[in-house]
Amino acid sequence: MANVRVVIVDDHDVIRVGVRQSLGEGIEVVGEGRDVESAIAAIAETKPEVVILDVHLPGGMGGGALDVLDACLKKADAPKFLALSVSDAAEDVVAVVRGGARGYVTKSISGPELTDAVKRVALGDAVFSPRLAGFVLDAFGASAGDIAVVDEDLDKLTAREQEVMRLIARGYSYREVGEKLFISIKTVETHVSAVLRKLQLSSRHELAHWAAQRRIV
Amino acid sequence: MLGAALLVAAVVMTAARYNITAIGPWMPPAVAFLTGTALVWSPLDAASSREGRRPDLIVGLFSREHLSRVMTGLALAGGAMWWFSRWEFTTQPVLRAIVVPPVILLGVGLLLAPWWMRLIRQVGVERMERVREFERAEIAAHLHDSVLQTLTLIRKNAGDADTVARLARAQERDLRSYLYQDRRTEAGSVATALAAAIAQVEDANAVAIDTVSVGDAPTDKCLRAAVAAVKEAASNAARHGLPPISVYAELTPERYDVFVRDSGPGFNPKRVPADRLGIRESIIGRVSRHGGTATVTSKRGTRTEVHLSMPRKVEAVMEA
Repeated sequence: MANVRVVIVDDHDVIRVGVRQSLGEGIEVVGEGRDVESAIAAIAETKPEVVILDVHLPGGMGGGALDVLDACLKKADAPKFLALSVSDAAEDVVAVVRGGARGYVTKSISGPELTDAVKRVALGDAVFSPRLAGFVLDAFGASAGDIAVVDEDLDKLTAREQEVMRLIARGYSYREVGEKLFISIKTVETHVSAVLRKLQLSSRHELAHWAAQRRIV
Repeated sequence: MLGAALLVAAVVMTAARYNITAIGPWMPPAVAFLTGTALVWSPLDAASSREGRRPDLIVGLFSREHLSRVMTGLALAGGAMWWFSRWEFTTQPVLRAIVVPPVILLGVGLLLAPWWMRLIRQVGVERMERVREFERAEIAAHLHDSVLQTLTLIRKNAGDADTVARLARAQERDLRSYLYQDRRTEAGSVATALAAAIAQVEDANAVAIDTVSVGDAPTDKCLRAAVAAVKEAASNAARHGLPPISVYAELTPERYDVFVRDSGPGFNPKRVPADRLGIRESIIGRVSRHGGTATVTSKRGTRTEVHLSMPRKVEAVMEA
């Protein structure tokens, strides 16, 4: 497989250097951005496959990563975005995923895991950290027993999707989830992508108001 | 202003043309009152929407350009009310005595309403500023007590990597919970209680544990026992297992499920010596006393996972 071309966007030099070093084999860093404007410019210039995007960025309209997503996803050859953040705040997570990011990982992620996540995103899959899976279960009311009967119901998860999310939240890798549920990795990926789509498109009341509820008072 | 005057003139002329006398003599005073009210309200309204966020609104009212308008308006409306109070619309003095005072009061109220509204708004703005100031002071105090102290400690221990890492982790967690979470008590939220228990394990063993909680409720007796068992399980994972360690807790109306998982090296649960009480007593025993179950899944060379399941509302069932 050819190297995955990546642009790293983060406002801290130390983090950019660290991310660059922790990325393993098969990934080539072609550009960097330190704020919204330089990120958009670097992405337009180098046309990467994946952008590792910090959630909080200076510049732009003040929306941080959301501004970059806005500007880049409209174009035809838009790259795929993997959000990387120190923040565990629900409003940040939900906002960037709804803004178009294909995954969300926290900065405590290990080098090999990040490499794996980037490759996964490059292939068009979704990447969920345990925490994001937990958020999803919470937001879609999984603990309250809300189960979708048909796949098309955007406001609820199906029983299978809930199982997959639960295992991811428990720290299982996609391969382990597949082994546990006796399904292939490909099927796990399909379920995760379906959940991502629901997370992005759902008009579920809780999702919209959920971030607001959890804001700092 | 000119438009309103023209409109009034047009209405009067139309009335005169069609010889409508039925509208009676109350018409001119009523128009005068409405015009007066409009005059009084107009500068106030403009001023309050313009300087809505400034507390010194009252002063701004009496600038010269507005003063004449307000005075004209007050005079017009006052004159209209004075006329009304003297108007003998009925021959019965009792009826007049009943009707006139409320109407006058209403008129005065209408005239003074902008001032009153503005006063309320001003009180609101002041209160908001006080709250903001208070919050700012509180944040500053918190940062001083926590972050600055930790930074000082880190500087003193700069040579000792372990101490620095421990201090930084504790501080990070503290700051994170301060910034991103609703400040809840351990009794009021089982998720907070769990996070606090895991934090102690992290500190004691110098490892990082990824904790995810779904659902929340006040911590009752059963949930407290579950949290204590989870703490023991996490502590085992931290001492014997390899990182990354993850804890996932899900609270549903029926049960509280917690999974504690490490990344190896695994052990054979059947071959734990009988005198080792960690799993048997602190985890399984503690949970089963409250009606729950705990299972340890492990083999040599694989990951270990402890699953605790605690049914809720056991106490309610037993009382019934």
